[in-house]
Amino acid sequence: MSERLLEVEDLSVEFATEGGVIRAVEEVSFGIDRGATLGIVGESGCGKSVTSLALMGLLPRPAGRVVGGSVRFDGAELIGLDESRLRKLRGSEISMVFQEPLTALNPVYTIGRQIAEVARRHLGLSRSRARERAIEMLARVGIPLPDRRIDEYPHELSGGMRQRAMIAMALVCRPKLLIADEPTTALDVTTQAQVLEQIVTLQREFGTAVILITHDLGVVAETCRDALVMYCGEIVERAATEHLFNTPRHRYTQRLLEAMPRIRSRPLTSLPVIPGSVPEPDRLPSGCRFAPRCAHSGSRCELERPRLQRLEDSDVACFYPANVEADGAAT
Amino acid sequence: MSLPEIDLGAGADARLEPADRLRRRSPWSRAAGRFSTDRAAVTGLVVVTVFFVVALGVWLGWWGGNWAETGGGQWQSPSAENWLGTTILGQDIFARAVYSTRTAFEIGLVVAISSTLLGGLFGAISGYFAHSPVDAAILWLKGVLDSIPFYLFVAAVAFALDGQPFAMHIAMIATFWTTTARLVRGEVIKLKRLEFVEAARSVGLATPRIIARHIVPNTFHILLVQATIVFVAAIKSEVILSFLGLGVQDGVSWGLMIAESTTEVIAGRYWNFIAASSFMFVLVMGFNLFADGLQDALDPKRAGR
Repeated sequence: MSERLLEVEDLSVEFATEGGVIRAVEEVSFGIDRGATLGIVGESGCGKSVTSLALMGLLPRPAGRVVGGSVRFDGAELIGLDESRLRKLRGSEISMVFQEPLTALNPVYTIGRQIAEVARRHLGLSRSRARERAIEMLARVGIPLPDRRIDEYPHELSGGMRQRAMIAMALVCRPKLLIADEPTTALDVTTQAQVLEQIVTLQREFGTAVILITHDLGVVAETCRDALVMYCGEIVERAATEHLFNTPRHRYTQRLLEAMPRIRSRPLTSLPVIPGSVPEPDRLPSGCRFAPRCAHSGSRCELERPRLQRLEDSDVACFYPANVEADGAAT
Repeated sequence: MSLPEIDLGAGADARLEPADRLRRRSPWSRAAGRFSTDRAAVTGLVVVTVFFVVALGVWLGWWGGNWAETGGGQWQSPSAENWLGTTILGQDIFARAVYSTRTAFEIGLVVAISSTLLGGLFGAISGYFAHSPVDAAILWLKGVLDSIPFYLFVAAVAFALDGQPFAMHIAMIATFWTTTARLVRGEVIKLKRLEFVEAARSVGLATPRIIARHIVPNTFHILLVQATIVFVAAIKSEVILSFLGLGVQDGVSWGLMIAESTTEVIAGRYWNFIAASSFMFVLVMGFNLFADGLQDALDPKRAGR
């Protein structure tokens, strides 16, 4: 059994809209080892959620479809796999936690029943065994009095509890890969920290690999070993979290980190922002997609698309990367 | 990163107290709670229950079996023997009105249950596969059925089925399911975009199971209210159809009684008419109150208690 659990290569996703075909994800490549953690960062609409849905074969049909690339999970190709085989994988080998736990749980069933349903379907457990398993999972995700909480409806739980119930549902079959799509965005900050801590703890206990999708760089710093930064459907930088934060290479990453709120020695006169706005997906620049907003772009950036290239400890798609000695324009 | 230890063990019991009192209250028991405080709705329920017991009694042969007997004298006034007098043939009007309750319930229940099942099924399918050819076909069928005038349609079905006792039922079911289907379709289109449906797909459930187990149960409030509305509509339609001679073929119904009474009223014999229309009025009124209360109780936006 190889170390690599998931290998995504040149994955491209297109959406058919009224205005024509839009490419939401452009030749994205990344991988994740067994039991590892990977953060995918980017702003709204950069393709991070679409990438995760494509991995699970859950793109909204018929509008969205994978137009190229491959996704190898545990040695098997997922793209083009038939629906019934995919269904067997979903929930048992790969599962997902969603952003808004209230809408992600069915309001007419108790949480116990929803967790047990997954266990019964994939593990073939009896009703009572599935219930025991659900209670055990609720305890594992840190819900107090799980044997009573199991009979509660989603509306009776707090936001943090609901998200824990969601996590219990996602992990009840001990999947190899958990995709968490903005799992803490809808929660308040203290609850966020607890839920993240819980995900990390369970990830270690179960040896589950986690892909954490977020727009919060702080969340990635706390929980992920590796990180990718996406912009306009492309990966612009891929590195170990430590390197990404210490020596950001891509100009976009660099600006994102500068814009992160933190305690500074001198008060700011104005908030750091990245000038300009994200281009519309049907009007993407032909060269580097960040070029129009970049202070360091040259003529080459507008003509040619930069590819991910190795630069010391990082992979970066930039012609004039930051923190490079030879580069005269040191930052 | 280190986090402050959150104590979820010993202190948790104490903190759960208020939630504990609400613990066993499912959405249905909350709705029942709201319903029980609505006086009009409870009155409606009592009326409907009384009528239901009357209908059940007829069905079990406890009373009303003598509706066709022609023992009494012609056009008797109300007496201890014949509580509401007798008809031109000397039949007991009260017995006929009671027996008609069974007819009304039979039609109401058959039509309400069948058209709700049909409407729920077609509505869920066309909603989940909205804008697909399947949806287009169902919408087309609905459009066609809706565009035929109701009484013309019933007459056509009755004629086609050549006096079959169930012609009227079939005609009503065929026309009444469309409204239910339309409402369910809209709700399903809304529901299927919610994350719990995506979550159900992400744990590997198949489409039929998602529709049946995760989407349709979320439309039960619509189905229930729609079933009560159809129930009343069916009873009222039966009266009109029987009056027109398109309805009940064997047995007796309030509609047939009113039809008989048209000539009697001119002659100053009101009892047939009064009995049939008051029985119907009280049942329909009670059912409407009940249905209104049900609708309010099941409305999650009013879920204050």
